Amino acid sequence: MGRKFDIHYLLDFLPKLLSYLHITLFIVAASILLGLVVGFIIALPRLYKIPVLQRASQVYVSFFRGTPILIQLFLIYYGLPELLKLVHIDVSRANVLVFVILAYALHSGAFISEAIRAAVNGVDRGQVEAAYAIGMSGYQAFTRIVLPQALAISIPILANLVIGNLKDTSLAFTLGAMEMTGKSQTLASATQHFIETYIALSLIYFVISTILERTFHYLERRLLRHEKQVAEPAVRYGKRRLWKRTLITRLEKGG
Amino acid sequence: MIELKQISKSFGKNQVLQSIDLTVEKGEVVVILGPSGSGKTTLLRCINYLEKPDNGQIRIGDFKLDFKTAGKKDIHNLRQRSAMVFQHYNLFKHKTALENVMEGLLIVQKLPKDEARRRSTQMLEKVGLAAKLDAYPSELSGGQQQRVGIARALALNPEVILFDEPTSALDPELVGEVLDVIRKIAGEGITMIVVTHEMGFARDVANHVVFMDGGVIVEEGKPSELFGKPKEERTKQFLKRIAPEPSYSI
Repeated sequence: MGRKFDIHYLLDFLPKLLSYLHITLFIVAASILLGLVVGFIIALPRLYKIPVLQRASQVYVSFFRGTPILIQLFLIYYGLPELLKLVHIDVSRANVLVFVILAYALHSGAFISEAIRAAVNGVDRGQVEAAYAIGMSGYQAFTRIVLPQALAISIPILANLVIGNLKDTSLAFTLGAMEMTGKSQTLASATQHFIETYIALSLIYFVISTILERTFHYLERRLLRHEKQVAEPAVRYGKRRLWKRTLITRLEKGG
Repeated sequence: MIELKQISKSFGKNQVLQSIDLTVEKGEVVVILGPSGSGKTTLLRCINYLEKPDNGQIRIGDFKLDFKTAGKKDIHNLRQRSAMVFQHYNLFKHKTALENVMEGLLIVQKLPKDEARRRSTQMLEKVGLAAKLDAYPSELSGGQQQRVGIARALALNPEVILFDEPTSALDPELVGEVLDVIRKIAGEGITMIVVTHEMGFARDVANHVVFMDGGVIVEEGKPSELFGKPKEERTKQFLKRIAPEPSYSI
C-alpha cells in the first residue's frame, strides 16, 4: 500500500498538480459553455411544445441522465470515430480533450436543458402577457423579460451543475487526458505516495468548488437584487449607496 | 372609436363569449359588470389579443382586423393601439418603476432614451409616484404597483386602456388610491374599458355600463339607467346580490 505518509510530498505535489489546473478548468469552461448551447437547443422544443422534436429531446435527456458519465465518455471516445468513419471523416488524430469536452458538453447539456425548462416555466405567465400587452414581439418578450428572470432562478441549479461538472472531469483521466487527476495518477504511481497525492488533489478540488460556490452565490444575489432580501431587508440597498458615495467622494479627493 | 363585432370564443366545449357586439365612443369610460365566469375578462383580453377569439372583427379608430385572418403584423398593430392594466399588476419584476414604464417606449416605440425617460417620469408623477422612480416592484405596496401599471399603460399613449379588475387584488385600504388615479385620467378624456366589481366607481365614473352574464351582453346603458331601473331580471338579481338593500329595518 505505497510508502509511509510524508507531508513534504503533499507540499511538493500541490504545485505540480496546480500546474495542470488550467486544463481541468478549460474542460469545465468549454463544456459548460457548449452545454449551455446544447441545453437551449434541447429545451426549446419542450418549452414551445414542438411535436416530434419534443419527444426527441425527452429521449436525449433520459439517455444522458440514465447512463453513467463514465460510459458516456467511453461511448463518445470509441464510438464517435467509428460513426464518423461512415461519412469518411477521420478523427483518429484528434486531441483526446476534444472528446472529453464533447462528452461533458453533451452530458451537462441534458441537465442544463432541464434547468432552463424549470426556470423559464418558473417565470410568472403574467410577465409575458404584460410584455405582449405593451406591444413586444415574442422574441423581445423572451430575451428582455423572461430570460433575465429565468437566469436568476436557474443560478442555484447551474451552480450545482458547474461544481458537479468540475468533479466529473476527474474521470477524463480514464481516456488518458492529462488533467489534474491524470497527473495525480502518474505522480502517485511514480513515487508510491498515494495518500499525499489524493489529499493534495482533493484540497485543490475543494478550494476551486468553494470559490465557484461563492461566485455563484454572489451572482445570484446580484441577479435577484430586485427581490426583497429576507435576511437583510431594505438596508442592503442603502448600504450599497453609502458604499458608492464614500467611494465617489474618496475618488474625488484623489485618494 | 372602438367597435367589436360578433366576438365569439370557446374554451373547449365551454362557450365563453357568444357573438358579442360592443361600441365604445372616443373618450368614453365603459364599465363591464357581471358575475364571475360571465366572460367579461375574456372579452377584455380579446381586445388586446391576449386571448384569440374564434370569430369576430374589431375596429379601433381607422384600424380594422378580422380575428379569423389576423396575422402577426395585425396582432402587433392591434396591441400598439391598446394598453392593459392587469389584476395582478404584472410589473416586470427585474425592472424599477421607471424602467417598467420606459420599456415599451424604448423597445416598442423606439423613442430615444432621454425622451422615454422624460415621458415616463412625467407619467409616474401623474400617478403620484415621483418619489419611487428607482424602486423595484417588490419594494412597493400593491396600490403603488398598480399605479405604476397605470403609468406604464398611459405612457404608451394608446387609443384605449383596458383595465382588468384593477383593484381586485388590493387590500381594501389601498383600493381608494388606485381608483382616484383611474378617476383622474378618466377626466382627461382617455378612452377606457374597465372590468370591475366597484359599483360606486362604476356609478360615478362610467359613461356607459355593460352587464354581462353567460357570455352575452344582457343589458347596457347609462349608469343611471342600469343602476336606477334595470330592465332585465338577471341584472336586477346581480345588482341586488352585489349591493343588497337591507332586508330588515331598525
